[in-house]
Amino acid sequence: MNTAVTKERLEQILDQALQDVTEQTAGVRLNQDNQSLGEDICTVHITFDKGFSTSLTLCADTSLLYRMACNSFHEDEVSPEDLEEFSKEYFNVLCGKIAGAMFQATQVAAHFGQPMFCHGRYEPEGQEVQFVLTYSDEHSENAQLIHHVPCSHTDGTVSERS
Amino acid sequence: MSKRVMVVDDSRLVRVQLEDVLAGTDYQIVAHCRSGEEAIRQYAEVKPDLVTMDIIMQGMDGLDAAEIILKNNPDARIVIISSLAYGDTFDRAKAIGARGFVDKPFHQEQLLKVFGQALL
Repeated sequence: MNTAVTKERLEQILDQALQDVTEQTAGVRLNQDNQSLGEDICTVHITFDKGFSTSLTLCADTSLLYRMACNSFHEDEVSPEDLEEFSKEYFNVLCGKIAGAMFQATQVAAHFGQPMFCHGRYEPEGQEVQFVLTYSDEHSENAQLIHHVPCSHTDGTVSERS
Repeated sequence: MSKRVMVVDDSRLVRVQLEDVLAGTDYQIVAHCRSGEEAIRQYAEVKPDLVTMDIIMQGMDGLDAAEIILKNNPDARIVIISSLAYGDTFDRAKAIGARGFVDKPFHQEQLLKVFGQALL
């Protein structure tokens, strides 16, 4: 059984899932870019607690998440609670797509818990960044999808948790 | 006559998405429970034709809630709507008697097909 995928393959899986879920859920097309995030950002974070000992973080311009939330709720304005609710549900679905693709690739069923949402940036304790995928939309609003691995995990693969 | 659907999902967004997809169909959302515990309490009162159940929620997860509802109401028709549509999760949903599994994000055609099969 193949229980590891390369960093390059994982980047492909994450990229495909993010683009598909963002368009289906919020009607926004994101393309890989190298723009920096603005000053007003929000973060959603999920830890994979079974299967793979990694975590995923989405940092995005608040204006981008706000517009995606408005599109999804079919409203011109949304409350801060709706912004948080949208962000968590969107990231939950995104991580489900990623975990499903990882299951196809490895036959390892990864599980994850409730997403965590905060304003500003969040750095998970005991983990380090393996790679960052950066996106922009047509309004030059930006997002970063960050893959974290346990500190000192540097062989470039993501393996089944032992 | 419309089929009465009880939505169990901690996200208001999912209810909005389901209302969009079910608009103009024979299905009507009659209740929205935001936790497994609330779904267990509400089921006997609402008596829905169909329950949609999320898995990852605060407190009791959706599979545990579905198992209890089915134990108390063996004729309950429960469709799991979750982003965890693979592996052991899928197997457990089948084992406890869920009538179908819909992957998030869902589409109208897929949803109506699974709902129809669940009500046979």
